[in-house]
Amino acid sequence: MNLFYCFLGVLIGTLVGVLPGLGPVAAMSLLLPATFHTSPVASIIMLSGIYYGAMYGGSTTSILVNIPGEAASVMTCLDGYQMARQGRAGPALGISAFGSFFAGTIGIVGMLLISIPLVNFALRFGPPEYFSLMVLGLMVLTFLTSASMLRALMMAAFGLIVGTIGLDNISGLARFTFNIPELLDGVGLVPVVMGLFGISEVMLNIEMKIRREVFTTEVKGLLPTLADWAKSVGPLLRGAVIGFFLGILPGGGAVIASFVSYAIEKRVSKHPEEFGKGAIEGVAAPEAANNSAAQGAFIPLLTLGIPSNVVMAMLLGALIIHGVTPGPLLLSQHPDLFWGVVASMYVGNIMLLVLNLPLIGMWVQLLRVPYSILFPLIILFCLIGAYSINNSSTDVLIMLVFGVIGYLMKKLSLEAAPMVLAFVLGPMMETALRQSLIKSRGSFSIFFTRPISAACLMLAIALMILPLLPWLRRPGAALDHKDAA
Amino acid sequence: MPFLSGLTLGLLALADLIYGMANRWKHEKADREIWPSIHRGKLFFTLVLLFFYTLLFNRLGFIISTIPLLFFLFRLMEPRPWWAALIASVLTTGLFYLGFKVGLDSQLPPGPFGF
Repeated sequence: MNLFYCFLGVLIGTLVGVLPGLGPVAAMSLLLPATFHTSPVASIIMLSGIYYGAMYGGSTTSILVNIPGEAASVMTCLDGYQMARQGRAGPALGISAFGSFFAGTIGIVGMLLISIPLVNFALRFGPPEYFSLMVLGLMVLTFLTSASMLRALMMAAFGLIVGTIGLDNISGLARFTFNIPELLDGVGLVPVVMGLFGISEVMLNIEMKIRREVFTTEVKGLLPTLADWAKSVGPLLRGAVIGFFLGILPGGGAVIASFVSYAIEKRVSKHPEEFGKGAIEGVAAPEAANNSAAQGAFIPLLTLGIPSNVVMAMLLGALIIHGVTPGPLLLSQHPDLFWGVVASMYVGNIMLLVLNLPLIGMWVQLLRVPYSILFPLIILFCLIGAYSINNSSTDVLIMLVFGVIGYLMKKLSLEAAPMVLAFVLGPMMETALRQSLIKSRGSFSIFFTRPISAACLMLAIALMILPLLPWLRRPGAALDHKDAA
Repeated sequence: MPFLSGLTLGLLALADLIYGMANRWKHEKADREIWPSIHRGKLFFTLVLLFFYTLLFNRLGFIISTIPLLFFLFRLMEPRPWWAALIASVLTTGLFYLGFKVGLDSQLPPGPFGF
């Protein structure tokens, strides 16, 4: 049965990755209510399958249409689409599928090697360490994923506020509930995520009326030549290793991994001028990186109980709904879940290889479905998904409200990822903060006298100061650290 | 925690405002670029439709309320004959009902007629 859920997950994930406008986060939140009737293991296997399936599927649209199915495939567009224009769509799709499989395998081996030592280390963690690590995770995310750190921090603060809605879990006081009984339990993760990522995207597309041109040349010869393999081995290995470690990093993830690995490949290449003009290395490296990062991101969630990105936050929500608390004790208390997920990743990677190569023609046909037919279906998926969690139209209203908020955020270049991660981590951070303060009888020094906690906070402070340095040196220089890069 | 988060958000927003005003000349992105006038009416119509749908679908039931919603949405971006949109709406609603209610046992509002 778990194999079936794994297959369903990777199939839906590939579909979601292929279709622009519905990312893995929205798809996972859509299908979360459907997993309530299954076991926690089956549920997590399916949701994980959606995640790495979307990583695979996203490459197809990048190569054939020059539109990334999801953010982690942006770098694949640069050389993948150029290869397609030169009549080499087949090898581009082939190296992307084989590379993803290879990197996924490296990611799983790395996960097996690192998880157990990390669990033993995490057993030393108390509330102050957890609090500081979560602060560091938020800071890394705001530092890496946004053009403007100031705005990303604003979004993180907004997420923390939204996370405080509902009953205070220590004093029992109702906060920001406005006498609405449904809000006593807090705002649900699924309506928030669906609104921010699903509804807002549809709203933007209605306004812009997107037009897609599918590459019409027949896709043939999916197997890369020996020369292609020779060029790709190095980038695949480097991409897989870089992606894996960036995936583990709190706040890191597949998007950053693909950007970094592409930049490194271009730097180490003997022919950097070929990048952007159809170099197969420019497809192999980011594809390997985003897939191994997808595997690596599971490590902090399953060993520490801390999600490193929004997708992992969704999985954390799913685990909690199923009554499983991820953390260092997960491996001993729910070994079936831990090893089930690890095994399913490998099986899922094989399924993806089988799905991606022979079915590319079908995915291309799907790309030809006009958006005017697709968007009512996406809206209906979101409406049903939000309603069926609690049988409550309040959740649907919350989703629509966050849809409008998400639309405005996109218009004003405010990123949703720091907000969602802060929203998920907020209640955990608050509990850890208050437990620490109870332990230290109200003294904040507890966060600086314990070495692990102090190190995490120092790193977080350093990350906050780093973008200010050019500004301090030259007043008026951009705070937007990425603009300068 | 809510107070501290609110205070942080307020201070950061103030900093962004000051920073934005100080660098206004640098950002050439005009308002019309952020708020294009094309299809604004369609966007507003979709939102109103969805809010009314949310208010009504608990009372009318999933099938009765979803068919008209989809009918309008299918005709929103491209002009389609009304009968084609109606057939598509009925079929889609039926398929979603079968998939979610019957297949996945999801909860959908029953309405006065039980569907």
